[in-house]
Amino acid sequence: MSRKVRRLAGVVRLGLARFSGRLFGGDSRQLWSSIAGVAFAVMLMTTVGGISLGLASQSAIESEDVDYWVVPDAASASAIAVSVDAPRLGGVHSVTDQLADDDRIDYATPVLIRVLELSNPQTGNSEYILVAGVIPDSTNRSIIGLPTASLEPGDPHYADGTYDGPWTGQAVLSTGAATLLDAEKGTTLSPETGSATNRSFTVSDVAESEYTTGIGEVPVALVHLSEAQALSGATSGDQADQILVSTDDAAVAGDIERLYPQTNVVKRTGFAQQQLSSSSLPLAIAVGAVLTAFVVGTLFVATMMGLEVLSERASLATLAAIGYSSSSRSLLLVVETLSVTLSGAVVGLGLGIGGIELTNVLTERYLGIASVARFDPILVGAAFVVSVLIGLFASVYPVWLSHRANPVEVLQ
Amino acid sequence: MVSTESDTTDPILTCDGVTRSFTRGRSGWLSSPQDTQTVVAVDDVTTTIHTGDVVGLAGPSGSGKSTLLHLLAALDTPTKGRVVLDGTDTTTLSESQRAKLRLDEVGIVFQHFHLLPSLSARANVALPLVQRGVPKSTRRAKANDLLDAVGLADRATHKPAELSGGEQQRVAIARALVTDPSLLVADEPTGELDSETGRQILDLLTDVADDRAVIIASHDEAVLDRADSVLRLHDGRLQSESDPSMHREIPHES
Repeated sequence: MSRKVRRLAGVVRLGLARFSGRLFGGDSRQLWSSIAGVAFAVMLMTTVGGISLGLASQSAIESEDVDYWVVPDAASASAIAVSVDAPRLGGVHSVTDQLADDDRIDYATPVLIRVLELSNPQTGNSEYILVAGVIPDSTNRSIIGLPTASLEPGDPHYADGTYDGPWTGQAVLSTGAATLLDAEKGTTLSPETGSATNRSFTVSDVAESEYTTGIGEVPVALVHLSEAQALSGATSGDQADQILVSTDDAAVAGDIERLYPQTNVVKRTGFAQQQLSSSSLPLAIAVGAVLTAFVVGTLFVATMMGLEVLSERASLATLAAIGYSSSSRSLLLVVETLSVTLSGAVVGLGLGIGGIELTNVLTERYLGIASVARFDPILVGAAFVVSVLIGLFASVYPVWLSHRANPVEVLQ
Repeated sequence: MVSTESDTTDPILTCDGVTRSFTRGRSGWLSSPQDTQTVVAVDDVTTTIHTGDVVGLAGPSGSGKSTLLHLLAALDTPTKGRVVLDGTDTTTLSESQRAKLRLDEVGIVFQHFHLLPSLSARANVALPLVQRGVPKSTRRAKANDLLDAVGLADRATHKPAELSGGEQQRVAIARALVTDPSLLVADEPTGELDSETGRQILDLLTDVADDRAVIIASHDEAVLDRADSVLRLHDGRLQSESDPSMHREIPHES
């Protein structure tokens, strides 16, 4: 190892020794304040960066099935809850078939939601029930809170658009609907409204459903799509209100939009997040967070390290007097400043991860949006890169300040 | 001219008509000449010091002792005249070259010790060796040897705050000697010590003079008595060079 390299290594070690020695002994308020300042900046950057990543990658519900609603452009948020007299999607069976062919998509079904009057001929009870028509597959799924297991897979009555296939008449009722209709498994129900009052349904299952609106629990029923279409007169053009897509691949949203023009692809977490994530806002938030952390961190650290240099001017003057070159003294201050900012980065990262968790807890509790923010290893890299940049830029001031001091005057 | 038994050797330090003045007061484009004042701290000093000399630097407060000491140690450069240290004219050097010269040729002992408080005694002693790029093991061994030589082998890991004033000054002397300099300057080295501790420190300083020149600035006659010769300053001018045991005035040589 050359003399120069040994000197550099020695000065770096000296800087680290001075940093740790001063941090844990004597008056180290400036150092602790600087670390706290950087930690705060990095914490904000990490938390905001986590939110940006969550929005940008649309991975907020990554841990669950990533579900999308494909709804017509003019649909409002309320259309997802109860879609009545809203614009509808057409040709939904063929679109659903195309979606089902995509390996990334686990399951896709059109959903037609209508409020229909059903009656129990045996008891004479008649009630308006929210009926959802879906295309079940062989897997037991939950749609509007009801299991699809007791519905025959596929949509037999559709029969390639002829609507002359076998009528299954299977219906899954929520317990609320079953109570209102005084029905149980095996009970036959008759539609009182719609265009197929000559048809009937048999209750294939009764299950708890937590499907609610603002006024409380709603009595709901699940039937095959084509049968719901036949009841509500939506067979013309093969209509549905929305298409539900279940997938683990967050990137599928763009493809769905391309597949079905004039639609919105809405995530389960709601419209607000969809609107945010479809813009450049996440990137703007991330850039803003990084810039803010950098500027605030740099100014704060520069100020505090400037004060530190003033309180340490005798030591720096001593080093100058005993023969330390100005470059060695500069390196010493850069090492000490970087030690401060990197320590702040470590603390800030810990706080930032906590901030991400806290954000998720609060948004879930108060906004009903799960996992808005997301931690990613890139945040660790960003925190350290920003802290190094803060250290390098902030060290300019203490270095300049130390060079202004005349050792002879300081040591007298 | 300081005369000692080593006059036959080449001088380690030559001071030739050295003047150092400072401009005090407000300066700048809004100031007038009346706003500033030039103070001559050292005025036309000429002297020569050889290896083996122990030279006292005496004078009342404000006489220019410390300023001259800084010039001799290459911490500062004269406004006029020249200081030649070990054959190198310090007035021709840049700041970084003077720093290198100090690192190689000068050991400095301060009145207030000026140890780095966050470092151990051993680390403080080894500080100049870091700048020299000496391997860590060598630095450690050399620092230990010197701490042993000044009687502080068992205090190597102690921080300055854990040492007495005398111990801190001994660490400072060890630090000044660690590069084996040809010139050792001490500014009021016993100023903050009791008389017994001060005597021990003077013993140390004079003991190391065989291989180098030692200059001790002090206003304490007890300290100056230990010197081979004394340079007496008054208002920045060299009043006399004397044998401290005789304390007689010698006409100023210019």
